[in-house]
Amino acid sequence: MIATATTSSWLPQAASTQSQGVDPAFYGVYVVGAFAVILVAGLAMTFVRQFPRKGENERGLGDARPNVKLQAAWVLAALGVAIYAFTAGLPGFLDANAAPWMSYRVLVATSQDGYKFTYPNGHIADTLHVAINRPVRLDATTADVIHTLHAPALRLNEPVLPGRTAQAWFNATTPGTYELRSAVYGGDRYQDMRTAVVAHNPADFDAWMIRVSDVFAGRTMEQAGELLYVTKGCKTCHSIDGSKLVGPSFKNVFGHQFDTREGVRITADEAYIKESILKPNVSVIAGFEPVMTPFEGKITDKEIAGLTAYLRTLSDLGGKPAGADSTTAKPAGKEVAAVAAPAAPATPHGGK
Amino acid sequence: MSSPVNKAAGANWLTTTDHKQVALQFLWWTLGAFLLGAIYAVILRMRVTSALVDPALYRQMLTQHGILMVFLFLIPAIPSVLGNYMLPLQLGAGEFRLPWLTRLSLRLQILGTLALVLSISIKPVGAGWTFITPASLTGPGSFALLTTALALLAGSWLASGVNVIVTVHHGRRPGMGFFQMPVFAWSLYLTAFAQVIAGTLFGILVIYLAAARGSAAGPFGANADPLLWQGYFWLAVQPLAIFALLPAAGVITEVIAGVSRRPVVGYRTVVGSLIALLALGFCTFGVHLIGKGQSPALSFAFAALALVTAVPVALLTFSWLSTLYRGSVACAAPTTFVVAFLLCAGIGVMSGLMLCTLSTANYLANTVFATGHLHYIMMGGVMTAFLAGLHYWWPKMFGHMYSPLLGRLSGMTYMAGFNLAFLPQLIQGARGLPQGLATVPAGLRGTDLVATIGMWILTTGLVMIISNLFGALHDGEKAGENPWGATTGEWRSGAVGGDPYVP
Repeated sequence: MIATATTSSWLPQAASTQSQGVDPAFYGVYVVGAFAVILVAGLAMTFVRQFPRKGENERGLGDARPNVKLQAAWVLAALGVAIYAFTAGLPGFLDANAAPWMSYRVLVATSQDGYKFTYPNGHIADTLHVAINRPVRLDATTADVIHTLHAPALRLNEPVLPGRTAQAWFNATTPGTYELRSAVYGGDRYQDMRTAVVAHNPADFDAWMIRVSDVFAGRTMEQAGELLYVTKGCKTCHSIDGSKLVGPSFKNVFGHQFDTREGVRITADEAYIKESILKPNVSVIAGFEPVMTPFEGKITDKEIAGLTAYLRTLSDLGGKPAGADSTTAKPAGKEVAAVAAPAAPATPHGGK
Repeated sequence: MSSPVNKAAGANWLTTTDHKQVALQFLWWTLGAFLLGAIYAVILRMRVTSALVDPALYRQMLTQHGILMVFLFLIPAIPSVLGNYMLPLQLGAGEFRLPWLTRLSLRLQILGTLALVLSISIKPVGAGWTFITPASLTGPGSFALLTTALALLAGSWLASGVNVIVTVHHGRRPGMGFFQMPVFAWSLYLTAFAQVIAGTLFGILVIYLAAARGSAAGPFGANADPLLWQGYFWLAVQPLAIFALLPAAGVITEVIAGVSRRPVVGYRTVVGSLIALLALGFCTFGVHLIGKGQSPALSFAFAALALVTAVPVALLTFSWLSTLYRGSVACAAPTTFVVAFLLCAGIGVMSGLMLCTLSTANYLANTVFATGHLHYIMMGGVMTAFLAGLHYWWPKMFGHMYSPLLGRLSGMTYMAGFNLAFLPQLIQGARGLPQGLATVPAGLRGTDLVATIGMWILTTGLVMIISNLFGALHDGEKAGENPWGATTGEWRSGAVGGDPYVP
């Protein structure tokens, strides 16, 4: 599964554009360094053989003055090597510190339990799936100790420190599955602190994302609604335990009657809930400000239905859903589930 | 004064302030720590290869191996054994100027070693020898004893550092100027500053770490920036590494001049390079934080500064090679170890160059490439120089000469084994293997097997070295007063001033 290196080279086979900043610098410094080591050790061995002690009382040359011209050349050569190493490593280093504009942004939550990746659409997974030739930016945090994002094939090696958001990016070039793990001891489970990066062709990635991020697949409408409550961000302003946040709690809303700011008495039925999601500031319940972002165009009818089903479960007046029994998903949902379920641990291109 | 230690003189080993007797006791204590650390190394390597692994136990052993080797052996070995023995003789001082500090540094070393062994036998700490916070603030282990041990060792370095500085300033033979001191004496003098400054800092740091662990108090406790500890740790330990490397460079200079019977070529350049290395050692701790979360601007600055180290290193190498050139080079064990040093320390420096090249430094951070680099510098450099020095000064210290042939053979075995054992780490690290894993992935089993074979060859070399050296105490030939025909003070008492390398 895990991509391994060709045995002829020092570095693993590169699978991202990051290698352009690392590999030439590595091999350049390697060649220069190996030459220097062989030169020094070779000269020492040569001199030991060339000037052996011939007599018991023989002494070496008494003159201790160095050959100044040779010395200057030697030092300048060493300084040249140092400057070369610095300039060779600089572009890749600077490049690694600045993710390109409009990179695909994935949030990474690390802890001693492992990695969690949150995609822009709210999908959460414990492996990192990406599309090739699309820069991916990782914004990573840790819940406990220092962990790292270490994926050698992608030339990715980013430490994640408590109290900070680490930022790293890469642009995969070859489809495949690559190991991603932590390279810093973070407790007894350090050995298993690892996951994988799966790089897909862009079309496959989009298809994968649609498949796995269908919240209705394998879930009842109520369960889908519960998940949407988190991923759509409702949770930020609406509690489910009756406590008052920015907006009204979702507890005991469905089916109850409320007064709006204008003094109109309404019933929180399906129609009102749909309106409150799409055009939330038209009919605001008394005691709250009209500050919610309208979701018109950002949410599907089916998702609204899911949320409504979830709100029913939170209300003592929720009762049976209107119409058909929806304790299982609607037919459309069933189809998706049937397609998605067997293919869930998808690794379309396999390892190399 | 230039005769070997006379055990018959009723020496009381516990109360002595005699620099030779203290030096010999340091030899037993540091060698003991080395052997314990080496046993850990053998077990660690076998477990990696056999994959019969309990990660927590592996972690503890790795931690203890690192602590024993770095803090109980590599840092003190050369100054405390060779330095304590040779410095007063090289200066013509007869004795350290503050003999009670000589004794104190030994006692603190003994207490520190005992406290460490006690902490291992009660419950070993598994936080890694660099104690990266916040992971090191929790987890099992008798941490209080461990930090006590490290603080005691730091006290030992401080005592010895003050003693060396005072002795160099006030104990030189009349007529001997600073620039008439042998290079080894210079290297010990410079190291003493690192001992005093960085040793004190290190002692304070481990106490703060213990406070943070015990009660979340102090600068490394609750809500501390996790990089703060790493920054301070390397601020202290980078000079301490220099504190191991400077005397190593001093030993190599001395041995090369001795075996080739030539004055050190460019004596003042060598001394200047050592001063520059000391100064750079205090300024370059940040290279250890590249790829660890340090700001890019700081990584940029530290990498640039660290690369300046190329100049003094090149000057030293130039002088060493020039001194061998047109010398009368003895075909002897110290010569073999000098060549081994140049090869191994050379690979150490060049792998270090890759860890200062910004983009590769980021890529290689936390991999076993860094571990391999550390071993090339600390074992390939410091340990090899220590062995070169031991073989060079053994007839001086014990009055007996070991077998020269076995000495050379053991040196070659050591060099071959060392490279076979640690070159695979550089390769595995470049492939991306992180530090501290109890098993290696299938793709790296081949290189791992090579490392294990190398380790056994290295062990064979070390057994040959130890049996040759200590065997000489039993049946070795009586060594003459000056078997190498060297010119520095420890070989001929009452020498006149002037260039220490001119007969």
